[in-house]
Amino acid sequence: MQEKELVRLSKEGNKEAFASLVKKYKTKVFNLAWSLTRDRETADDLAQEAFIKAYVALPKFQFKSEFGTWLYRITVNHTRDFLRKKSKMSKILVEKMKEMPLVQENEMTKKEKELISEQRRKFVRQCLQTIPEKYQVIISLRDIQGFSYEEITNILKISPGTVDSRLHRARKMLRKKLAPFFIQKGGNHEM
Amino acid sequence: MKCKKVERFLLRSFDELLKEEEKNELKKHLESCPLCQTKREEYQTILDALKEKDFPEPKPYFWERLQPKLKERKKYDPWSLWKQWALRAIPASMLLVILLATAIMLFIPPQKEKLSDSGDLLLRNLDPLQETTILLEEEKVEDKNMMLIFVAMEEKNSTGRYLP
Repeated sequence: MQEKELVRLSKEGNKEAFASLVKKYKTKVFNLAWSLTRDRETADDLAQEAFIKAYVALPKFQFKSEFGTWLYRITVNHTRDFLRKKSKMSKILVEKMKEMPLVQENEMTKKEKELISEQRRKFVRQCLQTIPEKYQVIISLRDIQGFSYEEITNILKISPGTVDSRLHRARKMLRKKLAPFFIQKGGNHEM
Repeated sequence: MKCKKVERFLLRSFDELLKEEEKNELKKHLESCPLCQTKREEYQTILDALKEKDFPEPKPYFWERLQPKLKERKKYDPWSLWKQWALRAIPASMLLVILLATAIMLFIPPQKEKLSDSGDLLLRNLDPLQETTILLEEEKVEDKNMMLIFVAMEEKNSTGRYLP
């Protein structure tokens, strides 16, 4: 069955049609929440709540955008609300990050390199959680989830120019946060 | 090209948004600027670290866990209740108002227009000049004139019209 038909049936209260939509989008919705919270339990709860919000708001859905885009918007907004409430928590993380170098040593075994790479990944993501939430969201959508500029424009309801400038600012901000760890590499460069 | 402008180009290059000439300009600058080269490596490291190898899956029985929550929410959802009752009540109440308005217009008789004294007399098939005729029939000219003046004054007061 076509997605539009599933949405139409769900609007009329058909549970099976809505179950099909949940099946199709649950992973993406969960991943969106997870990329912003980095916690499986929390992301699962947020994904469930996003689907409940969507189900309740479905009668008002006018097919002006794709169902997926509309659902992602609900998820992002719901997760942003959660992040705003929990913003105090992320400040603690910065203290824990200081012993993790970003430099990659040349003389390392493959296993060690993988371990360092994994640590680096964790480290960068923890750092991501310390920047303002609107910048976290844009990096999460573009650099983690891989949404196109056009998709981000529709999800966040902002202009392509704003997507560009916000993403630019967010990446610069993240690099600035990580700057002390890059210096270890020996570069004496402008930040 | 200045390093600040290069940074913008650099970031846009990761999204493949640069035109051919901009790409060349960036490449040329990077070849001659070690600081911007380092910057590019740093951004690349960050972006690589952000890329996810394996995304985790949601917890099992996602739909089974969601279903009772949907039922619970649907029970107390104000929009559903509004849709169920109020949206039906709106056309019904509008119809009722229209019917009431029609009934009022049809069954309440229009208010009678207030007639003037002469109009009233004419309606009752009486002579409106009866009083004047009596005065005109007076024998004495002075009395007749005085009476006519008084009547004219009275009528002027009541109707605002001048009478000789």
